[in-house]
Amino acid sequence: MNAPSPALVAPRPERLRLVGQRRQLLAVMHQRLMFGMLVYAGVVALIALRLLYLAAFGDHAGRKEGLTALVPERGDIVDRNGDPLARTIDAWTIAIHPNKVIGDKLALARKLAELMPEQSAEQYFAILRSGRPFFYLRRRASPSLVEAVNAIGEPGLAIQREPDRLYPQTTLAAHVLGYTDIDGHGVAGMERAFDKYLSEPATRNEPLALSIDSRVQQALEHELSDAMAKFSAIGAAGVVMDVRTGEVLAMTSLPEVNPNSPGAATPEARFNRATQGVYELGSTFKPFTVAMAMDSGVIKSFGQQYNCPQVLAVYGHLVHDTHPFGRICSVAEIMEESSNIGTAQIADQLGTQRQKMWLGKMGFTGPVPIELKERGRALTPGVRWGPFETMTVGFGQGIAVAPLQLAMGYATLFNGGIYHPPTLMKVGPGHPLPPGKRVFSEETSYRMRALLRLVVMKGTGKKADAPGYRVGGKTGTAQKLINGHYSQTINITSFAGVFPMDEPRYVIVAMLDEPKATKDTYGFTTAGWNVAPVVSGTISRIAPMLGVQPDMNREPDMSQVMPFVHDTKE
Amino acid sequence: MSSRSFRSVFMVASCAGAALGCYLVSLRVASERAALEDVEMRIVLAQRDLRVLQTEIGTRGRLSQLERWNAGAFALSAPAADQFLKGSFELARLAQPERKIDFQAPVVLASAPAPEPHRPAVGEAETDDSGAPAAVPPSELLREASLKTETREVPARRVVELPSTTVKSTDKPATAAKPVSTRSLEKPGLAAAHPTGHNPTVTTASKQPAVAAIPSMKKSVDKPVVASTKPVTKPVRIAKVDPLAPLAARHSGNPKDSTADR
Repeated sequence: MNAPSPALVAPRPERLRLVGQRRQLLAVMHQRLMFGMLVYAGVVALIALRLLYLAAFGDHAGRKEGLTALVPERGDIVDRNGDPLARTIDAWTIAIHPNKVIGDKLALARKLAELMPEQSAEQYFAILRSGRPFFYLRRRASPSLVEAVNAIGEPGLAIQREPDRLYPQTTLAAHVLGYTDIDGHGVAGMERAFDKYLSEPATRNEPLALSIDSRVQQALEHELSDAMAKFSAIGAAGVVMDVRTGEVLAMTSLPEVNPNSPGAATPEARFNRATQGVYELGSTFKPFTVAMAMDSGVIKSFGQQYNCPQVLAVYGHLVHDTHPFGRICSVAEIMEESSNIGTAQIADQLGTQRQKMWLGKMGFTGPVPIELKERGRALTPGVRWGPFETMTVGFGQGIAVAPLQLAMGYATLFNGGIYHPPTLMKVGPGHPLPPGKRVFSEETSYRMRALLRLVVMKGTGKKADAPGYRVGGKTGTAQKLINGHYSQTINITSFAGVFPMDEPRYVIVAMLDEPKATKDTYGFTTAGWNVAPVVSGTISRIAPMLGVQPDMNREPDMSQVMPFVHDTKE
Repeated sequence: MSSRSFRSVFMVASCAGAALGCYLVSLRVASERAALEDVEMRIVLAQRDLRVLQTEIGTRGRLSQLERWNAGAFALSAPAADQFLKGSFELARLAQPERKIDFQAPVVLASAPAPEPHRPAVGEAETDDSGAPAAVPPSELLREASLKTETREVPARRVVELPSTTVKSTDKPATAAKPVSTRSLEKPGLAAAHPTGHNPTVTTASKQPAVAAIPSMKKSVDKPVVASTKPVTKPVRIAKVDPLAPLAARHSGNPKDSTADR
């Protein structure tokens, strides 16, 4: 019984196996332990290294984040002189969490109605009982109101600062700037066109510099709104543009909209007449026809004669003049007295194909080339562009363009004949002037100066003259198309001017929509009576600011035209 | 032995010291950085305040508001074309008053009458001086003459008036330089004869002593250039006062005043 078990004498094979297994197991365990230790040591080392790193380069406990640079929520918009036109400020907002109100709701509602009378106590009470989690009571609240609301001491009231878009100049250049929605995204004007630039954190630190000069803008808006009120016009538009670069120094559309409260404006006011609205601008087109004819060799001198009867019957239509000559007259006289009959004949000689080609080159057949998204498209006779349409287009009927396009056309014609697309961005180091393309020859551009100066010196645009500033330009009175018929009484009057005419630098276009006659105008509603004085007033205000030196002794080379003007008045 | 046994301790201590030193450096750097960030933050806050204030000022003084103020209160307008100057020459021209021709001014001939009116004027000046001797007049003459030629137009009128009153008196001395002396001798007799024909005032004047008359005499006598040669004899002529007195009487009370003063 006590005999040793075979196992003691000689290990049993299974036990041997067990020893081997244990050793193996031990090795595995050691391996695992080592691995765990390495991981642990690694983590510790990582933490230690991180600690060291933080000690050397890292943040410290008292660090305030997010204030290292002043980056506004949305980029500023400034004018060409750096004056702010749009800014984002922190405004006080008063809101309420109806669920968190612990006081007497009725008393609170009464108190709120007393402080913010835009809603009644009942309405406030309804809000408080609505059970909604959050409700804005007032955005852009004044500090005194915030103080008063805070004094109520109701924990359910939330008073906080939120970024808010402010337009310090209120209505100034409102159609250029546009406005933002309540979340701060641009929905009109440059706010819309450059929404990405203004809201991107990378770019919004740098203000968006416009080509607008706020002083020029103010002068133009003031003079235009005065005229609009005086002549009871339903609308007005104006553009001032740098002839050499195509920069728009001022652009306005009336009635105006206040971008600080765009919701209050009518759709009519939000409409940008300068870029969105296209109008048949009438006689202001005639200089283009003459210039095209000169460049094409149709007109060789301003003394070229045309037969100007009382009424011209062509292609089954009659063309009338407001001041018919009833005799043979020169090109200079046709311009001076703004003769449709004479211009129609010039356009006829020019021909449809060439007219189309020129207008295309000048950018009069496509959409208005500007950064704004609110832009119209010129209306042309299209497929019906026959010889008679060529005549009417020649004197500005049957083609509708935006006032900005008209300004662009004049800039092209008087800067030496080179087309630069109009821009609302300041031309400078960050925004170089793109190369222009030649439309008219330099000589044509030069000779046209005298012709347009003549119109202001002796013709229909006398009231547009600003003494000393050598204004040249052309009036335009177009009958308004109402229900498919040209009205005999309702007009759109416009004036396109350039100054100083001996060395053109700026072009100004002003337009009045449906001006009414007054006692001062002796019953006339033509451009020479209502919109030309706007141009004169604006130029005499803005020219000194723009560095145009007035000089009573300088004039463009008038010997080009003067010999061909047969002065019947004397 | 001891050094060897403490070696490890030293090692540990120096390591700890080095680590502490490193830590102190980094702590120092961190605190400097914190201070810098504090300043930066204050700058940013100040910039924000500036921005807020600028915005407020800009909004309150917006162009449309300025335009309204201008329309209501200032009434400023853009300068007209002729208000611009091209350079310093035009500016200098503005500073010089323009020479205007006064067409209302009487025509004064350059030849005869100009010197005559000076004499009485000088005489009057001398009466004021009272005791001034004959030596003074020439220089005074020169001065007055130059003054009058300078501003011809305005004094010309006075010149015209003066002759009526004073020329007579001047005439006499010139013509009656000799008579004066005779009259002086005859004075008492003449004086007695005159009262009947002349004003009573004249008599009173004549009755007054010669001393009173001296200055008035001098006036008439001094005027001629000869006077400078006869300063010594003057006292003799003093007596001739009376003949002039009647003339003075005609001119209202000038002589009286002069006598009263003396």
